[in-house]
Amino acid sequence: MDAKDILGLPKTPLSITQEKKSRPQKDSQRKPDGISREVYALTGGVAPLMPSIDVSQLKRRPPSDEKITWQWLPFTSSARKDNLQLYHWARDYSFAKYNKSVDVIRYTDEEYEKHLTDPKWTKEETDQLFDLCERFDLRFIIIADRFPTPRTVEELKDRYYSVSRTILVARAPSPGEVAGHPLVKEPYNVTQEIERKRALSMVLSQTKHQERKDAEVLAEAKRIAESRMAARAAEEPDLPIASDIGPESAERAVGPGDTISPSNVQVPAPAAAPSTSLRVYLRTYALEQMVQAASSSAGLRTIKRVEQTLQDLEVNLKPKVPTKAVCAEHLELRKEILTLLNLQKQLQYKEAEGSSFRDGSYGDMPGSAKRSQRAADQDRTFVLDTISFGVIPGDRGVKREQKRKGPGRASETSSSPAGAHKRPRKMKASDL
Amino acid sequence: MYGGDEVSAIVIDLGSHTCKAGYAGEDAPKAVFPSVVGCIDQMDADDDKENNDSETNNNNADSNKPKGKRKLYVGSQALGFRRDHMEVVSPLKDGVVVDWDIVDNIWDHAFKDCLLIDPKEHPMLLAEPSSNTQLQREKTAELMFEKYKVPALFLAKNAVLTSFASGRATSVVIDSGGGSTMVAPVHDGYVLQKAVSSSPIGGEFLTYCLMKSLESKGIVIKPRYSFKRKEIQPGVFQTVDVDLPHTTESYKLYSQRVIASDIKECVCRAPDTPYDESSYSNIPMTPYELPDGQTIEIGADRFKIPDILFNPSLAQTIPGVDNFAEISSARGLPQMVIESINRCDVDIRKELFGSILLAGGTASMQQLKERLEKDLLELLMV
Repeated sequence: MDAKDILGLPKTPLSITQEKKSRPQKDSQRKPDGISREVYALTGGVAPLMPSIDVSQLKRRPPSDEKITWQWLPFTSSARKDNLQLYHWARDYSFAKYNKSVDVIRYTDEEYEKHLTDPKWTKEETDQLFDLCERFDLRFIIIADRFPTPRTVEELKDRYYSVSRTILVARAPSPGEVAGHPLVKEPYNVTQEIERKRALSMVLSQTKHQERKDAEVLAEAKRIAESRMAARAAEEPDLPIASDIGPESAERAVGPGDTISPSNVQVPAPAAAPSTSLRVYLRTYALEQMVQAASSSAGLRTIKRVEQTLQDLEVNLKPKVPTKAVCAEHLELRKEILTLLNLQKQLQYKEAEGSSFRDGSYGDMPGSAKRSQRAADQDRTFVLDTISFGVIPGDRGVKREQKRKGPGRASETSSSPAGAHKRPRKMKASDL
Repeated sequence: MYGGDEVSAIVIDLGSHTCKAGYAGEDAPKAVFPSVVGCIDQMDADDDKENNDSETNNNNADSNKPKGKRKLYVGSQALGFRRDHMEVVSPLKDGVVVDWDIVDNIWDHAFKDCLLIDPKEHPMLLAEPSSNTQLQREKTAELMFEKYKVPALFLAKNAVLTSFASGRATSVVIDSGGGSTMVAPVHDGYVLQKAVSSSPIGGEFLTYCLMKSLESKGIVIKPRYSFKRKEIQPGVFQTVDVDLPHTTESYKLYSQRVIASDIKECVCRAPDTPYDESSYSNIPMTPYELPDGQTIEIGADRFKIPDILFNPSLAQTIPGVDNFAEISSARGLPQMVIESINRCDVDIRKELFGSILLAGGTASMQQLKERLEKDLLELLMV
């Protein structure tokens, strides 16, 4: 009794391998599938160590792609003494499928008299031309080479195509039927062909000097075109000058890759430089950029509140039809909402101040003074901004303009410790 | 991989220097032998015998005697054996067949002695020059069908065959053979006859120039039959001149050419830049051992001779070279190529410039391809 017996496992470990060994041996003893038993026996029965033929391939043959045609042809046997002619199936000539030729229209003599006479061509020449066309399958370069009288390729083509066209139209029962035929639809244009070949020959025989000159001229032309584009782009930002319109001018001239940060608006220069690269851009993408630019100072919560307000007003967060006018209006709306929210915040602060002031918290005085001052400034900057939306400013180079981003931003700048210094400047701005 | 029908066709190319014959579908011809034949006019042989027998001169009877049949000796083996009064005759003159009897004998030798076939059983493919005349073609067909009774015959132009052999239907074929150099553009499998340019400068002319150049330097090329070499000691040979007075001039010239041709093939190479006397005056010499044991040194000629292909006027500087009118008006190889392509239609010029093929024995000269490429680029990139 053994553990193996209990489990039902085979007694000797060798028996498994024995089975395996016997199996491959048995397989090789059987005849292979490809050939019949008798044939296999002829070869000696057992498969050789190195099979000379790949037996699995014997019966299988990949299906041929081309259509093989068979012909019932007569044949004679050299083994017979009589002239018996029997028939059998013989395979078609495998290269016959390549024997294609062109259908050249042949005219009759009457047709020639009626339609095809031409002062520059004799009937004999025309006949010769058509013979050659048929012989050489419309290879006009070779036909021109073999033509007995010297004629250019264009002349030969012209004659052939005009004759074919005339015959086709003459033979057709109605003109409408042949209107679709390529010969009728696209007539051969001799002058154009001659001109084209002349130009091509000129290009081919250009000297290196000429090539270089051509390249220079092309480069020059490209440069002029670019500078013209830049000039056009530079003109546009004259209309709205204020910094928040800066991104909009970029929109007119520039591709999507351009994010002009609000703090820097040297409008013409950066706008012009990238203007050459791309003319096509997505307004939605530009709009996003501008929204981002406008609200980058606002902070996440503020942005959310802006969007909430938009939704309350039943305005889509992204305009459905993003045309130039619509996007501009959308941006304006966003900015006004931002301003509104900021003002509301300022109002809250003021009220809080006022209440705390009334409560007599002196400690807050300097700060509150500042804050009230700031609030006043806010009013002024707000007024300024609303004016600047529609105004055409004369002087763009004034640096203080650059600080005019949006009411939100202005508040940021004024909250810096150097707020006192800023005051005089802002006073000047308000003099506008 | 032979894609053709197994009709066991025979291909024959009778060139001005060698005749090539073989089976269609094989890589190389089986039979390659010179296309000149040795010819003994029976009349001369008989004349000689009579002179030796008797003292009397039969001058008057010469014109009355019927022209005896002449015996032709075809093939490299037959030609290699020196015979009295044997002249070396070529069936071609300027690329055109003038003696059809010799052509007949050459074909016969190819079929019977070299290929061992019966022409009645094999369709024939004959290669003909790109500017063959109608008369020549008719005579060829007549001879093939009536004498050899071939079942089928096709005459193909050399340039087309070369083009197809390289897998192209459109190309410019530069065939630089023994007798001449031909530049033929092929478009869609047809030769553009009006654009073919040819030059009489070929391998034979270069060999002739080399011979004259060596002669002018005092080197005498002894034909193989004119000496015997005896080994007097192991490794040491002694040359003894043999006098054979009845050897014809043409045979002597032919034997000398064989040796000069070998020198040309071994030693000559195309120079990278156009040849001029001063720059090549101090180059190292290459030794060459002639069959008679004499060793000669070849210097500037190594480069001068091949440069004749590019600059035919160089030939005139070699003393002894006859100033053929055709040679002085011949153009160099790159000029011929450009001229030929410019005579073709503008539309195919680009394609032609992109497939220029070299064929022929002389085209296998060392560095010829590179030099031609360089010259063409220079001429075109003006």
